[in-house]
Amino acid sequence: MARLHQQPICLASSLFVPWLTLAAPTWLSLSGVGPCWAVLWLLPWALVDGPVSGFIAGLCLGLVLDGLSLGGASQLPALMALGWWWGRLGRRAPPIQGSFNLGLLAWIGTALVGLSLWLQTLLIQFDSSVSWLHSWGLNTFLAQSLITGLVAPLLVSWMLLIWRRLARA
Amino acid sequence: MGVSPWQASFRWWRWRGVLPWLLLVGALGLVRWSKGSGFADAYALLSRPFWPGSAQREWIQSGIQLEQQSKLRLLEQDNQRLRGLLALGQASGSGRISAAVISRTPQGWWQQLELGKGRLHGIAQGDAVMGPGGLLGRIQSVTPATARVQLLTAPGSRVGVWIPRTKRHGLLVGVGTSRPQLEFLDKNPYAVPGDLVSISPASTLLPSSLPVGVIQTVDDRAVPAPLAAVQLIAAPEAIDWVQVQIR
Repeated sequence: MARLHQQPICLASSLFVPWLTLAAPTWLSLSGVGPCWAVLWLLPWALVDGPVSGFIAGLCLGLVLDGLSLGGASQLPALMALGWWWGRLGRRAPPIQGSFNLGLLAWIGTALVGLSLWLQTLLIQFDSSVSWLHSWGLNTFLAQSLITGLVAPLLVSWMLLIWRRLARA
Repeated sequence: MGVSPWQASFRWWRWRGVLPWLLLVGALGLVRWSKGSGFADAYALLSRPFWPGSAQREWIQSGIQLEQQSKLRLLEQDNQRLRGLLALGQASGSGRISAAVISRTPQGWWQQLELGKGRLHGIAQGDAVMGPGGLLGRIQSVTPATARVQLLTAPGSRVGVWIPRTKRHGLLVGVGTSRPQLEFLDKNPYAVPGDLVSISPASTLLPSSLPVGVIQTVDDRAVPAPLAAVQLIAAPEAIDWVQVQIR
């Protein structure tokens, strides 16, 4: 059984994550906030390829995305943890296929990434403007988790279908 | 006793000859006294179909804009000359380069722009980035071909500004929302909603006297100093090209 990380085309698909993060299509956003593309790619990858691969994929994505952002808060810890957790779910639990389950997992994952970023920002900006940061953080947290949870059933189920076929081949 | 012919002719002359003229003069006197009332109104009524349309108004407005731009150019030249005499940083338009916005995330966890020009074009960290209307942010990092802009709204953004009307300084702090927060340095900034916020004329890091925004609300009860919410003039959501002030 071929693993996903041994197939160049599957590895190359990860390039869509930084590309879509930079492109930030405005037509796919909620309150100006787009979906978390890293979560949408990492979820099917980790479910198919296992916890170690998911952990490493989360690490690689986190490094790239941190390099593309202004700095300060990092996505790295949350993405690594999600890659590991989803990999374990894919290995030990019955295969996850339902659209609702995928949407829920993506929503939880984005919420964890958002919570991690929010807490880091609050720690970094602890000296001032905490109340202002609360309103901004809450808006971004809710908008991003919701739009990612809505997009996931369409995108993740399709990626999961293709990658499971490739992994069985 | 009958009426003499002389008397009869006088009556005729009086009523048929003099009186209309007297009435005309009287009417004109009223016009004069009322500053042309009636005449001007009648002229306005009759000439309304021939009044200048929107095209002529636009011509006049464009002429006024051209005149104002010329005045502004002259004032900027004067300003540069005076700043040179005072040995302050230059704020001329000669050091500005245009750059396309190739990526834009004005909302979200990181509020930034990605520009299509970088170190190879002379852009360096800390350079000011301007859009139509005023300051947008500062260059946070550069690659050979791109530059990343930290918007004024981004958490962590801090820029020294002042209010030209009251000549009070403050710190414009990005708090993630579309309206950054102005932290005054004085306890009595005398700022009111509607005041213009600009870069200090003594600034050597950013272009001096560059407009930034307009105060929307003032919180006088904040401690240790009042706070204000500032509406930025340049909106990053709608800008495809920016200008970078290189140093």
